[in-house]
Amino acid sequence: MSSETPPDSASKPNAPNAEEAEASDDAATPDEAGRAAVSEDWAAVVVGLVLLALVLIGAIPEGVIP
Amino acid sequence: MATDPTPAVAADDSPAPESADPGTSEPFAEPSTVEPSGPSRPHWAFAALGVLIVLVLGALTRFLEQSVPEWAAGSALADVAAAVEYPVYAIALGLLGGLVISLTRLRDKVSGGFRTEFFIKTGLVLLGASINLSVIARAAGPAIAQALIVVPLVFFFTWWLAGRLGLDEKLRALVSSAVSICGVSAAITAAGAVRARREQLAYTASLVILFALPSIFLLPWLADVFGLSAPVAGAWIGGNIDTTAAVAAAGAIVGEEALQIAAVVKSTQNVLMGLVAVALTAYFTFRVERAPGAKRPGLGALWTRFPKFALGFLLASVVATWYLDVAGESGAAQIGVVTDLRTWFLILAFVSIGLEFRLARLREAGWRPIAVFGGAAVFNLAVALLVASILFRGFEV
Repeated sequence: MSSETPPDSASKPNAPNAEEAEASDDAATPDEAGRAAVSEDWAAVVVGLVLLALVLIGAIPEGVIP
Repeated sequence: MATDPTPAVAADDSPAPESADPGTSEPFAEPSTVEPSGPSRPHWAFAALGVLIVLVLGALTRFLEQSVPEWAAGSALADVAAAVEYPVYAIALGLLGGLVISLTRLRDKVSGGFRTEFFIKTGLVLLGASINLSVIARAAGPAIAQALIVVPLVFFFTWWLAGRLGLDEKLRALVSSAVSICGVSAAITAAGAVRARREQLAYTASLVILFALPSIFLLPWLADVFGLSAPVAGAWIGGNIDTTAAVAAAGAIVGEEALQIAAVVKSTQNVLMGLVAVALTAYFTFRVERAPGAKRPGLGALWTRFPKFALGFLLASVVATWYLDVAGESGAAQIGVVTDLRTWFLILAFVSIGLEFRLARLREAGWRPIAVFGGAAVFNLAVALLVASILFRGFEV
């Protein structure tokens, strides 16, 4: 985040730290997105298999799903 | 797999800065910034509203899918109405909804509820219950062979084309992964691997949807024109359309058999995503950025990038196949209920695709990435058709 960038490094023209700050800043969102995708991956497995189990044991009978 | 339109897109709601041209290798004039508490972190209530919008449009899709053929019965439009499948209504309503929330300036706030990845992956786990394990076992060989042939060919062709047109190295990796493997999911994975910029990921995700939307309708039509069998059509769709949700939509338009094969082929491609991510991590660490003292990515990284829903898909098939063996004919009714649930999740995914599409993002990066993506898509179309026609010739579901 820009707020995490040290003010002195960001204010210096061509300061390598400013560029590094940019790289880490921007890399954070794809990483976060990647983690979200991984957790959604597992969530999809759990929800899908639980729904399958509920149908097979008769907890979700025919006609309930429109 | 999928898919797709995504957490990344949903999480990334702020427009790219003026200086950020994700399409070229020119350096950024200024660092792009992320608002610490801006629209990229919508309040949970707005995310819930986003989910509600998806559910309402999904219910409307289901209503139209069931009612329009009845309304049109006996009229000149009866055949057309009967032929229009739920993906068409879902995507159209999603696009319309996207327009409305853009005009009302709600989009950035509610987009956290457009969980396309979750919807499509849950739908695909449930789809596993509709596929007999023997079909997966028989299709796995040609599907793996197709993935091993098509994915590297398309990846390196896109990599080469992007290099020729001067795309930034990281955008090059994102676009190559997205076109060759599985659209937005692959772009997210590649973005993490190469530490790409946020706007590059958002832009690639928008490109994926731009090309996926027409493919949903174009490929089923072309499959019909070419007279492809259902398994070949499914393998072609699964090996060609980038985002998993769009693969499911196109497969559903062709029919149930094509959908099953498309899902198996796409799941196989998704598994390769982990390998590509590890290779990209190593390439950027040691060749592009030359980070001193960096560790080589190991098996842990491979497992992290492995698409876990593919395991759910397989497990659902194992459970359902066993259940039908035990329950016999009477078990078919339960599998029918699972199919209804699966249709619901696919509808929600297709609605989300429409809701997440943003034309504005595509104007930000110029023509070169679009040209790369278009060229790669045509190449993928031809290669996947050739390989699917050979590997799935004579295959029976």
